[in-house]
Amino acid sequence: MFGKKDITPLPPKKKEDIPYIKEGITFKEWKAKNGSGHKWRNIRWTVLIGINILFVISFTLDLSLLEGSLSGSRLFGFYLMDPFNSLQLLIISAYTGHLKYLTMNFVLGFFTILIFYFLMGGRTFCSWICPYHFLAEWGEKLHDYLVKKKKIKEHTYNIYLKYVFWTGFLILAFVTQQLVFEDINPVGILSRAMIYGPGLILVWILVLITFEIVYSKRFWCRYVCPIGATWTMVGAVSPFAVKFELDKCAHCRDCQAVCEVPHVLWFVERGKATKQRHDVGADCTKCGLCIDACPGNALSYTIKGLDKIL
Amino acid sequence: MDKSEHNLNRRQFLKSGAIAVGAMAAVGIGVGYLQKVTAETRINQKFLRPPGAIDEDTFIFGCIKCGLCVQICPVQAIKLAGIKEGLAYGTPYIDVRSQACDLSCDSIQCVETCPTAVLYFKQFKDAGAKAIEKYNATHKMDENYNPFPVQIAAMKSIVKMGVAKINENTCLAYQGKGFKGTPRGKDFKGVNRSPYSGDLKATPLSEKVYDEKICNICVKECPIGEKAIAMTNSGGKIVPKVLDACTGCGVCVMVCPTEEPSIVVEPVKS
Repeated sequence: MFGKKDITPLPPKKKEDIPYIKEGITFKEWKAKNGSGHKWRNIRWTVLIGINILFVISFTLDLSLLEGSLSGSRLFGFYLMDPFNSLQLLIISAYTGHLKYLTMNFVLGFFTILIFYFLMGGRTFCSWICPYHFLAEWGEKLHDYLVKKKKIKEHTYNIYLKYVFWTGFLILAFVTQQLVFEDINPVGILSRAMIYGPGLILVWILVLITFEIVYSKRFWCRYVCPIGATWTMVGAVSPFAVKFELDKCAHCRDCQAVCEVPHVLWFVERGKATKQRHDVGADCTKCGLCIDACPGNALSYTIKGLDKIL
Repeated sequence: MDKSEHNLNRRQFLKSGAIAVGAMAAVGIGVGYLQKVTAETRINQKFLRPPGAIDEDTFIFGCIKCGLCVQICPVQAIKLAGIKEGLAYGTPYIDVRSQACDLSCDSIQCVETCPTAVLYFKQFKDAGAKAIEKYNATHKMDENYNPFPVQIAAMKSIVKMGVAKINENTCLAYQGKGFKGTPRGKDFKGVNRSPYSGDLKATPLSEKVYDEKICNICVKECPIGEKAIAMTNSGGKIVPKVLDACTGCGVCVMVCPTEEPSIVVEPVKS
């Protein structure tokens, strides 16, 4: 995560090592040959929409499948808790003494979700479950179009900003004795709006998405969301990742163009990679857009360390 | 990466970090202000918290707004507050006039389901266990041994969401009037499953027809019964009177036939 600056990169790839030159065809032909489908995107959208529909029908049809909302839910009777919500609650409860009243279901739900996303790669939640992500994905497309037409300028910030917000919201929760973040959390707001019916609070979502479209691409997800930051921390120790193989890469950077968090793919630029094989960092949401986009199949899902054993 | 670029990055980070801290401070002040405002308004609010709710200050941070209590309620009495209700956004409340908690569920499920214990279940569990113990002492040898009704009744009897209060100026009984027809009109969607709680196909209020010489619908529909509200003789008039066992469930408010309910539930202050 932090060490990349001190390691000297491998020497840039020689021309004859670039995959399409090796095969004796042009880049365009190579790209057309290998195709770039939307396999993972379609699977991911199906899962995302499916999970959220499951929440809605569990309520409307009164089924015990996936009750509650994304702030806290029950899957076939097993509790699942939102981690940042739980962290805020634990911090306030420890101070006020409510801690001893918290139920076993809460504790189980908190640890179950941490273990689940530890196995699934942390920020997997963002691109595979989060309904705001889905909205922002379309906002991103619109934003890219406007930038391309030169209607607006791109604004980027430091990616570590989300840890400032993460700490800040925890302090704020402690000081005000309220779940401050949950009041403005677009994940919870959207989830509740879908399940229990919309309200005036949706104006906030509109403000956020408008800001993302006209000013800074994916501002909330990249620089603010403390839920995403929590999952990044979990993902940093997770065995599940996207791996990159240098020998299959043609440095076309198509993957960076589609990536939701392009800084995690820093090694795809010519002359930047330090190893033959890189595992994408914890900020990666495992959305699979790069896997779909890569003409050389240089990127794929992996379980860290497993290919060494096999 | 050379040093100047590194410094530039650091400066950019510090700048945006400062903006972030400023933004959060603004949010904090905003939330703090709202908390103060709602603290003043919620004393006289017309909405109730679900059964077993702990004191409001703890409730506000303890409730993670998941809505599990909303899902489990069989009569859909619990709703989540929007930003207009004057409660903390996303927290559950009961609007008794549109659908009261009729205490007809099997085990006060909303309390049992709450993961953060802001609807605190232990008191109900203890009361139920005590009742079973008492029942076992006398009925252990019975042929049709069944402690569950006793347990559930004991759990429900300690619910205290508020206390009902009758407005003597508008109450039909206080004016010596009776009532004929459906109390809330044909379009009203509310339902009271108790005291017929075994019957899941309980008749909706819009289909019930009353013909009372002296209006006593609140007494007839009370899920707790004559310990909570009863018709009493007061100065020659037969009028309803709220007694100690009232749980504040609000069924009486829901069924009251006057335009503005002549009986209201005052939330318990903690």
